[in-house]
Amino acid sequence: MASSYSKSESKKLATWYFTVAATLFGAQLLFGLVAAIQYVMPGFLFEILDFSVARMVHINALVVWMVFAMFGSVYWLLPDETGIETVGIGLGKLLFWVFTAAVTVVVLVYLFIQVGPADETSIWFIHEGREYIEAPRWADLGITVVALGFVANLFMTGIKGNRSGIVTVLMADMIAFAGLYLTGMFYTDNISIDQFWWWWVIHLWVEATWEVFVGALAAYGLITMIGAHRKVVEMWLWIEVAMLFGSGILGMGHHYFWIGTPEYWWEIGALFSALEPLPLVAMFIHVLYDWGKMQGEEAAKGQDLSVITNKPAFTWFIMNALGNFLGAGVWGFFHTMPQVNLYTHGTQFTSAHGHLAFFGAYATILIGMMYLAVQGKNNIKILNNTKSSIWAVSMIVGGVVGMTVALTLAGYSDVIISRAQMGATWAGYFDAQATTWLVQGLVWRLLMGVVTFVGFLFLVKDLLSIGKATHHVR
Amino acid sequence: MVDEALMSRDILVDDFLTIFISSTLVLIFGGFYVGIYTAIKVKLLKNWMMYIGYFFWILTAYCLYLMGSLMHVNDFTAKALVVAAIGLLLLPHAVYYMQDHVHQENEH
Repeated sequence: MASSYSKSESKKLATWYFTVAATLFGAQLLFGLVAAIQYVMPGFLFEILDFSVARMVHINALVVWMVFAMFGSVYWLLPDETGIETVGIGLGKLLFWVFTAAVTVVVLVYLFIQVGPADETSIWFIHEGREYIEAPRWADLGITVVALGFVANLFMTGIKGNRSGIVTVLMADMIAFAGLYLTGMFYTDNISIDQFWWWWVIHLWVEATWEVFVGALAAYGLITMIGAHRKVVEMWLWIEVAMLFGSGILGMGHHYFWIGTPEYWWEIGALFSALEPLPLVAMFIHVLYDWGKMQGEEAAKGQDLSVITNKPAFTWFIMNALGNFLGAGVWGFFHTMPQVNLYTHGTQFTSAHGHLAFFGAYATILIGMMYLAVQGKNNIKILNNTKSSIWAVSMIVGGVVGMTVALTLAGYSDVIISRAQMGATWAGYFDAQATTWLVQGLVWRLLMGVVTFVGFLFLVKDLLSIGKATHHVR
Repeated sequence: MVDEALMSRDILVDDFLTIFISSTLVLIFGGFYVGIYTAIKVKLLKNWMMYIGYFFWILTAYCLYLMGSLMHVNDFTAKALVVAAIGLLLLPHAVYYMQDHVHQENEH
C-alpha cells in the first residue's frame, strides 16, 4: 500500500512540516542552552534575553516543533494507510503557511517585545503566561483554525479511503488532541481554576493523546520497517489505546495534588499514577516482541539478513521504546505518589523528568519519522546508517541522558535541603540553590546540553545528506 | 506534620534516597520481568529462565512494599500499590494470550 513520494502531494507537504519542525527543534536547543548558561552565569544576556524569555522560547518551541512533526507524520502516512491522496491537500498546504507564519510572528514578539502591560493587550498580542502554550490569543485562534483544518483533512481522507486501524485511532486521537487545546485558551484570574484547565491541555496531551499518537506511529513504523503483520500490530495498538486512556486520563490527578483542588485527587492521582507505567512497559514489549518475531520468521526461512529496511529510523524507534519507559515511566514514577510528591514537586526532579520524558517519548519517534520521509523521498529500498547517523543518535541520546542524570542529582539536593530539612521556606530554597551538588549538577547539565546540540548538528547534516549516500539498497 | 489523610507521618530525611532508589527499581525489575517473559515467548531464552523472570517480579513487589512503607502511605494508596503489583504480574500473560491468538488466526 506504500505510495510513492513523487506522486503524493501529501508526502511533499509532510516534508515541509518536517523541515520547519527540525528548524524549531534547533531553536529549542539553542534557547535551552542560553537558559542553562544563565543558571550557571546569572548575568548572561541580562536585560537582553532574560531567563524568563529564553525559557519561554525553549519550552514553547519544544511543543510547537513536535506538533509540526506530528502533522507531518500524519500527512506522510495517510496515503500509505488509506491508499488514496489526502483529501483537501490544497487546504493543508495553505494551513501550513498560515501556521508557519503565525509561529514566526509569535517567536519574534517573544524575542523583541517580550513583555507588555498587565492587561488584556498582553493576552491578545504578546503572550498568555501559561507555560508550554504561551501563544497570544490571536495566535491561539489561528492554531485552532489550523488544527481544525488538519483534522478535517484527516477525517475526509479516512472516510473516503481505506480506513485502517491506525487511521481510525488517529482520527479519534486527533479530534481529542485538537479539542483539548480549547481548554487552555480562556483566561480566569483565579489561579487554581486556571491551572485546573491548563492541565487538561498539558497532561491530557502528553500523557494521553500524544502517547496514543506515538502508539499509532510505532504501529505504522513496525509495519513499514520490519514488515510486522498488520493485524497483530493493530491489535497491540488497541490494547495500548485502552491502557493509555484507562490510566492516563485520571492520572491527571497527580497534577492536582497541590493547586487548590479537593483532596480526593490525592487518591485518584495515587491509584491511576501507579497504573500509568503499565502501558509504557507494554509499548516497550510491543516493539521487542514484533522485532524478535519477524527476525525469527526470517531465520526460519534460512535467511540471515536483518528485517529492518530503515536502520536509522528503527534505531530512533527503539530509542523511543526505551526512552518512553525510562523518561515517562521510571523518572515519572519515582515522584508521582502524593506522599513523596509533597517534597519533590517544582524541584529540579521535575525538570529531569520533563527532559527525558519529552525526549524519550516524543522527540525520538518523530526524528524516526523524519528518516522514513528521507527514505521515501529518495526512493531507497533499504536505508543504512552513516557515520553521521551514529554520531547524531549517540550524542543526542547521551546528551539528554547526561542532562537528566545531572538534574536528578541537583533535584535530590533540592528535595533534601529545601523541602525535607527546611520545610519549603524561602531560606530553604536559597540554601538548596547554593549547595555544591545543585551548582555542579547545573554545570553538568550545561555541558550535556552542548553535547546534545552538537548531536543535533550531526542530525541535520545526516538528514540533508544521507539520501545521497551510495551504500543503500535502491 | 502533614494531613493524616495522606500519610501517617512525615518521611524521614534519611529515607528519601531509599524511596527514590526503590521506586526506580520497581520499573527496572518490572522491565526485566516482562522482558524475560517476552524473550522466552519469542524463543530467545529457554523456558526455565521464567523462574528468574518471576524472581524479578518478587523483587518488584518488594520494592513497592518498601517504597510504600517508607512513605507511610495511607490505606487507600497501599491498596493501589497492591493493585499495581498484581497488574504488572498479569500484564504480560494477558497481552501474550491475546497476541498469540491473533498470530494463530493470522497465520493459519
